[in-house]
Amino acid sequence: MEGFLQNYGFLLVTLVQQALLALSLYFPFMAGQLSLASPGFYALGGYIAAIMATVDSCASLRNALGWTIFPLEWLVAALVSGILALIVGIPSLRLRGIYLALGTIAFVEILRVLFLNLDITGGAIGIFDIPQLFEERWSYILIFGPLLVVVLLFIHRLQHSRTGRAFKAIREDELAAGAMGINPTYYKVQAFVIGAVLAGIVGAMSAPLLNTWNARQGTFDASVSYLAYVLIGGSRSLWGPLLGAALLAALPELLRPLRDARLIMNGLVLVVASIYLPHGIVGALSRLWSFFSTPSAARGGE
Amino acid sequence: MTAVQFLQNFLNGISIGSVYAIFALGYTLVFSILGIINFAHGAVFTLGAYLTYSLAVGQFGIGGLFADLQLPFHFSFPFALLTGSILSGFAGVLVERCAFRPLRKRGADPLLALVSSLGVALVTVNVLQYLVGSEIYSFPSDVYGDIRPAFVLHFGEKLVVIRTVQIIIFSVCMVVLALLGYLIGWTRIGKALRAVAENAATASLLGINVDRFILYTFFLSGFLGGLAGSLVGTSFGIAGPYFGVSYGLKGLAVIVMGGLGSIPGAVLGGMVIGLAEAFVPSEYSAYKEAVAFAFLFAALLIRPQGLLGRSHIQKV
Amino acid sequence: MSMSHILQADRLSRNFGGLQAVDNVSFTVEEGEIFGLIGPNGAGKTTLFNLITGLTPVSSGTFSYRGKLLTGLAPHCVAGQGIGRTFQNIRLFKGLSALENVKIPQHSRTGSGLMSGVLGLPASRHEERVVEEKAWELLKLVGLSGRAVELAGNFSYGDQRRLEIGRALALDPKVLLLDEPAAGMNAAEKHTLTAFIREIREQFHLTVLLIEHHVPLVMGLCDRIAVLNFGKLIAIGAPAEVQQSQAVIDAYLGAE
Repeated sequence: MEGFLQNYGFLLVTLVQQALLALSLYFPFMAGQLSLASPGFYALGGYIAAIMATVDSCASLRNALGWTIFPLEWLVAALVSGILALIVGIPSLRLRGIYLALGTIAFVEILRVLFLNLDITGGAIGIFDIPQLFEERWSYILIFGPLLVVVLLFIHRLQHSRTGRAFKAIREDELAAGAMGINPTYYKVQAFVIGAVLAGIVGAMSAPLLNTWNARQGTFDASVSYLAYVLIGGSRSLWGPLLGAALLAALPELLRPLRDARLIMNGLVLVVASIYLPHGIVGALSRLWSFFSTPSAARGGE
Repeated sequence: MTAVQFLQNFLNGISIGSVYAIFALGYTLVFSILGIINFAHGAVFTLGAYLTYSLAVGQFGIGGLFADLQLPFHFSFPFALLTGSILSGFAGVLVERCAFRPLRKRGADPLLALVSSLGVALVTVNVLQYLVGSEIYSFPSDVYGDIRPAFVLHFGEKLVVIRTVQIIIFSVCMVVLALLGYLIGWTRIGKALRAVAENAATASLLGINVDRFILYTFFLSGFLGGLAGSLVGTSFGIAGPYFGVSYGLKGLAVIVMGGLGSIPGAVLGGMVIGLAEAFVPSEYSAYKEAVAFAFLFAALLIRPQGLLGRSHIQKV
Repeated sequence: MSMSHILQADRLSRNFGGLQAVDNVSFTVEEGEIFGLIGPNGAGKTTLFNLITGLTPVSSGTFSYRGKLLTGLAPHCVAGQGIGRTFQNIRLFKGLSALENVKIPQHSRTGSGLMSGVLGLPASRHEERVVEEKAWELLKLVGLSGRAVELAGNFSYGDQRRLEIGRALALDPKVLLLDEPAAGMNAAEKHTLTAFIREIREQFHLTVLLIEHHVPLVMGLCDRIAVLNFGKLIAIGAPAEVQQSQAVIDAYLGAE
């Protein structure tokens, strides 16, 4: 049992963490917006946690709070991410189309350059020896697991609420949504901010898990991976990002012998999936399901 | 800043800016026709640099599968540059075939083309890495033959150094821009391209084979991408298969700055960003990489249609 | 300028790069009227609708509703004032169910925010019930309650047109703008539609603006008609008067 947990426990933690990051991208997708910002907020959250956990000037705070410093880190990461998301989101989301994707690419790159060069983020080396929350790495499932459950419930409830309907309307047809009384910019920004807050929290939880934190945590490559999770799993159902993250994040572990060819595989998967699975795996499955569950007479009527 | 320093920065700026301009034009051509950003453009940039290197030096790489492979010949630099860029043009055509055409035929969501082109980029870059390794290359210093490596202008005690490669880069880019301007503005192909960009449906009613012109566009785009990569490669070396990524992203900043889909905008945007980077004071040089993206943001905030873009009229 | 006008257009203009799509158009609409807009293709009718609903900014001129200025407001604010519309080329939320389509426009009448919706607080639960009930009522009204969970995109053309009217009604509008509601319908369907438009005017106390190409339908249904040609208003009045107008005859016949 011990060995099993050692070997597969960490893989499980990684999968859940990647699924959470995929879901952080899914929020803007709910409102039809393509964001590539998650790695930026993830990196930011991690730096906030790492700094709060290591910097001398926070020592007295750490002594006073004990282990409750960790939830405080998450909270600060969430707040800062949310505020920054407003600053990035409002100018990009006043506009329709590809501008959020471009704006968030710029955001991730600017943050990366800052993290690489600022003193407080440890420059190119990053931050070392971040205190651990748990002794065993697999134990981090105790925070990532509940967070995943909360996020899934949140999305599930959101989809059937007034706000969720506004998201869906904008995703379907932004212009018509406006004509039906929905303020598109407001809801697009809201969706983007929720995703950013989630990515920030996941980053803050991951810094102790990984023990060190540096600018490689937030790169354009990571943006592409998360995007792949969502689109290959399916961007129209909350199970899509979950499945996509589980498959694609596990794939490299399972295909470890392939080593370098692994990234080539990733690229091929992106191409093939976007051409042959336009609604992702979940979309394809649900089509199959509705095909077989619809009585053939009804189908013949079309 | 002294006048001499200003001159030095200005010359550095227009040299790199002219490369940004022709590279970004590759994005713009595709965007103006398909309304989609081709995320494989940065990979074609990298590919072009490797092709030109191999053709000019006669060798494939240092690491990777092809490490020991020698070509039985090597070209003079101008010919290698031209051949490398033409081959990159065909790579552009291949990108269209793999990543764009299948989706276009189905009338799929443009976001998917973004993902499929990212996929093609990932495959290209990693296949390159597999074949030629991830080491940093430099073109040999005698690649241009017997030309002196730099010209030095004396202003009293101050010096302005112009590297030969900067002059070559700037001249090549200007020639290419002039040719491209002629092609688009004055030839029948150019007219047809503009018609397709204006409205593909109408153009096809007028008997223009839209698919063929899309291929031409991707060829041109790939040619420009490969050329830009080769020029940057000769100037700064090839920093491994991933070196196109950051140029690819900067190119996006250039086209947003200039105005999405605007050809003069891409040229102006490239120059502006090249100059802005050159004028970053040396004590802040670490932040140079962020300049282009700061401009992108500023454009989104202040002038989303870009410097030379038309504001978009919504069709209902 | 009496306050009995529910809608007032004052020298509305819009040009697109030199093309004068709507040119100095002024008119008023009385409460409860069915007001027709006709004119040859490209006369600027849909552009006029877009100016009214804020989808296209005006070049100059104003439009007001009960004396309140609408020009310059964002589309969702115009909708919030109680102005609902349909689109010439049908812009339903095609990937959503018919029921969701008629739930969405109830947005401006409801107010529960993100957290209250996610947590299911009592106020938002109550609101959801009201929204649900109203949505079913509207589907019944347009005769689609049996197909509430089907995706709107799977409906036939005529059903989509009806659902789109139902969706506009979900806004609880005081003014309804219909852009070619009878396009693609056969004679029998057109007849039913005419009766339906009269019926909803009574039931919801609506003022209706209507763009339509089918002249007999317009003549039979509308209280007054405005005729646009090349962006200019060339005639306005009761159907019989407009029919006699020389300018209208020229516009329709002379253009051929």
